[in-house]
Amino acid sequence: MSLGFVFDISLLQLTMVMMAPLIIACLGEIIIERSGILNVGIEGIVTVGSVAGFLGTFMMGSPVLGCLTAMMAGGILSLLLAYFAISMRANQIVVGLGIFVLGLGLSPLSYRLAVGVVQSPPQIKTLSGVPVPLLGNIPYVGEVLFRQNILVYLTYFLVAAVAFFLFKTPLGLRLRSCGENPRAADSLGINVTAMRYGACVVGGFFLGLAGAYLPLLITGTFTDNLVNGRGWLALMLVIFGRWMPLWAFLGALLFAYVDAFQFKVSSLPQMAKAVPPQFLLMLPYVFAMLVLVKVASGAEAPRALTRPYDRESRE
Amino acid sequence: MSAAPPRVEMRGICKRFGEVVALDRVDLEAAKGEIHALLGENGAGKTTIMNILSGLYRSDAGEIRVDGRPAPIRSPKDAIGFRIGMVHQHVELIGNFTALENILLGHEGTGWVLRAESQRGAVEEVASRYGLSVPLNERVKALPVGIQQKIEILKALYRGADILILDEPTTMLTPQEVDALFATIRKIAEGGLTVIFITHKIKEVLANSDRITVFRGGCRVGTVRRPEASRELLVQMMVGEREFPAGAGRPGAVASSSAGPPALSVRDLSLRNADIHLLKDVSFDVPAGAIVGLAGVSGNGQRELAEAIAGLLPVQAGEVTIRGRSVEKLTVAARIALGLVLIPQNRIDEGILPSLSLAENFVLGLHPYIFKRSGFFEQGTAHEMARIAIRDYNVLTRNERVPSAHLSGGNIQKVIVARAMALFRAIGGGILIANNPTRGLDIMAAAFVHARFREVREGGGGVLLISEDLDELCSICDRILVIHSGEILGGFDGPDYDVYRIGELMAGVRRRQP
Amino acid sequence: MKGAWSEEDRRHAAALAATYAAAAALALLAAALFILAFGGSIRVAFATVLQASLGTWGGFAQTLNKFCPLLLGSLAVAFGMRGGHFNIGVDGQIYAGAIGMAAVAFGLEGLNLPWPVFVPLGILGGVLAGAFWGLIPGVLRVRYRVSEIFVTVMLNFVALYLVDYLANGPWNDPLAGDAITVPIPKSAVLPQMLPKSGGHMGPLIALAAAAGIYFMMSRTIIGYEIRAVGDNPTAARFGGININRITLVIMPVCGALSGLAGAIEVSGFHQTLLLGLTGPTGAPNYGAMSILIAVIGRRHPLGVILAAAVFAILMVGSDSLQRSIGLPGSAVFVFQAIIVLTVLYVEARRQLST
Repeated sequence: MSLGFVFDISLLQLTMVMMAPLIIACLGEIIIERSGILNVGIEGIVTVGSVAGFLGTFMMGSPVLGCLTAMMAGGILSLLLAYFAISMRANQIVVGLGIFVLGLGLSPLSYRLAVGVVQSPPQIKTLSGVPVPLLGNIPYVGEVLFRQNILVYLTYFLVAAVAFFLFKTPLGLRLRSCGENPRAADSLGINVTAMRYGACVVGGFFLGLAGAYLPLLITGTFTDNLVNGRGWLALMLVIFGRWMPLWAFLGALLFAYVDAFQFKVSSLPQMAKAVPPQFLLMLPYVFAMLVLVKVASGAEAPRALTRPYDRESRE
Repeated sequence: MSAAPPRVEMRGICKRFGEVVALDRVDLEAAKGEIHALLGENGAGKTTIMNILSGLYRSDAGEIRVDGRPAPIRSPKDAIGFRIGMVHQHVELIGNFTALENILLGHEGTGWVLRAESQRGAVEEVASRYGLSVPLNERVKALPVGIQQKIEILKALYRGADILILDEPTTMLTPQEVDALFATIRKIAEGGLTVIFITHKIKEVLANSDRITVFRGGCRVGTVRRPEASRELLVQMMVGEREFPAGAGRPGAVASSSAGPPALSVRDLSLRNADIHLLKDVSFDVPAGAIVGLAGVSGNGQRELAEAIAGLLPVQAGEVTIRGRSVEKLTVAARIALGLVLIPQNRIDEGILPSLSLAENFVLGLHPYIFKRSGFFEQGTAHEMARIAIRDYNVLTRNERVPSAHLSGGNIQKVIVARAMALFRAIGGGILIANNPTRGLDIMAAAFVHARFREVREGGGGVLLISEDLDELCSICDRILVIHSGEILGGFDGPDYDVYRIGELMAGVRRRQP
Repeated sequence: MKGAWSEEDRRHAAALAATYAAAAALALLAAALFILAFGGSIRVAFATVLQASLGTWGGFAQTLNKFCPLLLGSLAVAFGMRGGHFNIGVDGQIYAGAIGMAAVAFGLEGLNLPWPVFVPLGILGGVLAGAFWGLIPGVLRVRYRVSEIFVTVMLNFVALYLVDYLANGPWNDPLAGDAITVPIPKSAVLPQMLPKSGGHMGPLIALAAAAGIYFMMSRTIIGYEIRAVGDNPTAARFGGININRITLVIMPVCGALSGLAGAIEVSGFHQTLLLGLTGPTGAPNYGAMSILIAVIGRRHPLGVILAAAVFAILMVGSDSLQRSIGLPGSAVFVFQAIIVLTVLYVEARRQLST
């Protein structure tokens, strides 16, 4: 195997395809965590997003409507989390795990309810690539970045938009203040409850969209283990990216590269003999653990993360 | 009184927290251009009423008027609308934001894009008007407390506050900073603003206010104008007709007779966090049979010193010896075994296991000793011991099985002290380190705790008493050390202390020791 | 606790009962809606669930066989939670335990050991493998401050692919097909408790483990220290408890409990190592169910036993519903989540009103 393989264009193109759902989910989680809420139900919410995206597209015939359905589903589940975490001041990890399992249960249930028991699973058409004129013609870089599907382009925009929102707008400043010191924010007239609810719902839209991406771009079908830990990986990417969209984007590229790498390698006939494919499949998860060991001790979470805010609590 | 209505008028304000009445029909008014002090002991209700005025708490009953018009304040946002701004005792800034971001937060100007730079001029203008220059681009967590407080004040003024509330603004400040603060406050008041400041320090009130309202036990005792106030009058109003425990057991000669090693010996202990010296070359002894006090304004390294000695923070440099045994490398448990007991500063966060029973709380730390190393947790023994402690320390609780979170703060503190004393006996110790053990206790309970410390001394043990209350230290310590910015600046032997000199050192004023 | 119940205890118990009754009612309501949506009859469906899980000896044995891994898995979660650790890695630890059991079974096959030696050895192998799988997140948390939540989740996938590899590769049984190994030797098979209906001894071992955990938590010093750390780690540290040491006890014990479940699944139930040991994909897998059973059972061994029994019945019952009306097994997840959220809701309400 030549060294050139690691820079292979199709490998890097696949990396971009695999990167998108990770970073979209991660951006959603960043928005939520920046407001002070930890959402460990992310895997379940992304799963629900994937089934909603599939069914929406399948039944209404439009990927756009499919994505909107998924975003609605993500927003609603996230709202449930918000209600428990914010209004009921419940333990966010316990509620999050409840939402995780709820999502795992709802997805196959709604799929079966909508599709019924069938011989061959229904298919939707996966979105094809739309090369960007001019940019797509730049050799190598352009081919990797700008001969992609439309959702990958949307991802570029979302990363920039969320970063701009968090650090360059008044609303972003207020959102971050709720995650750092809600009492200070409250004393300045910022409605902490509303900000946190808003963050959860908007973040939920992202999580749903990330779910919809999987059937729309990767498989074309819905299977029960479609998400396969991508939600958890996104949750780790938040830490890896230190709650900053641009760093998380780099992290998502790295993870996606490892994922794409194992996918490409296992399809090479000479490799399949040398290394059993299962060990390649483990790669992203082992890699994730190694990365966490490297970054976890230096990462600084929003100060008020997981802490419910009660204005009248006496210190 | 002139015909104009007062700037702020509060009538019949009531507030309860659960079963505790924090405010009982309190009236208060403050005029334009006035510096109005609220004076009282801890828990008198002065902070609660200001939290109501600033919208943080909602009153259960009562009425607020601003400039004669009803001001229904239900949230901080409403309060800002009535041009009320409050600076809390522990500054409410966002450490990871710059000073400018903190000031602009919630008041960022119009538009979808944050234009911090274009607001900078306006902030600087307000800052220079009141002489509040602060480094606007620095992250707040890197700035000293005095500067942080200025940012808080600037934040309120930038929002156009006409009524500025300061809660215990001087606790964390050096005397120079205190002087500068009051000069600023005077300037602000002369600009036509109303300044209300909360304090428990009579000296400050007499030096810096126009009128003084005294609180006691959730009620307003009265309001006096500065010229009519005196130290004696204010003390009498604050304390009421309460009876002080007679000067039982003024400190005397050190009871130590043994020639053995000191209970605790610290040599050149240093601790740094990044660039900040938390402790610098701290050296002192606590002899066996003595109570040594550590005086200082809170936040000057007391907490770090106690935790480093106890093994909760690593000793980066220097030596710590307990009864002649060097302990720097030992675990917390091993240090306890050698005779060290710590009463932590924060009773809720560091002292109790909230959902475990009172009995299970009582044996925390004691458990390796009372269960005879059998490996088994004997509920019967734990309950028996807890029942005795409840009786001896007069802990108000239904029984020893209730979760400790159900107890009031004072009763929790009694449990913690009882536990510390039992542990001290169990290990045949040693040295007792108590970090502000009587804060929030009523006078009788505090006297009871002090009596326990004296028992330790009579029994040949050492006590290191860390307190912000100089009166407390002078009343029971054999020796007082003063800490400032992580350094021990001096030591004084009792029983007759030069309180003024100690105060100077607490404020960091170094001079050759007389 | 000794002595008669006080008025307050009684009120507390009544409130608890009411909370769970409300949660169960909501879950039943949801169940009824699902059944209607799938075109079933509510009365028939509920009857089918009970008939299938408890109505026959065969069904009862199936229920007991599901009860065993559910109980051990949720003990593994509940035990960690009591000490402030979140173990989301039950699936991976079950797989690790299964590998350990299979390794002993295949490795010592030639020795012709009698079952009273072979079976305990195999189970020990599973327990140790599970403990090792739990030790990894423990060590990473202590050494690098990495949250055990992430590591346990990631290790689920690693263990899954490891089983995938073993069952397809070195231990594969070409006659049986993909992802399944040759059967373990007969003398490594756990004896049956209900021989005619296929119920193995596992549930008894699981109950013994629950009793052991109960004893450990309430009657030993290490159990007390674990509860102290779980309740307030700072105060525990001030009390001289070494939190790192507690982590290094908790996580391997969590892993050992799940590993025991995996060993029993191999030795008693499947008698082979196969992918899908913790539940077929999409159907309720033991790991996810264990998390919520631990919460529903209030992290207490007794509560966990009750909750695990209820969900074992539901799992077996829902299997038959899947066959009769096509209701997917994952519906059980939804019932669980509804119960957990209702319980959290009622308790938070009560907390907020005081």
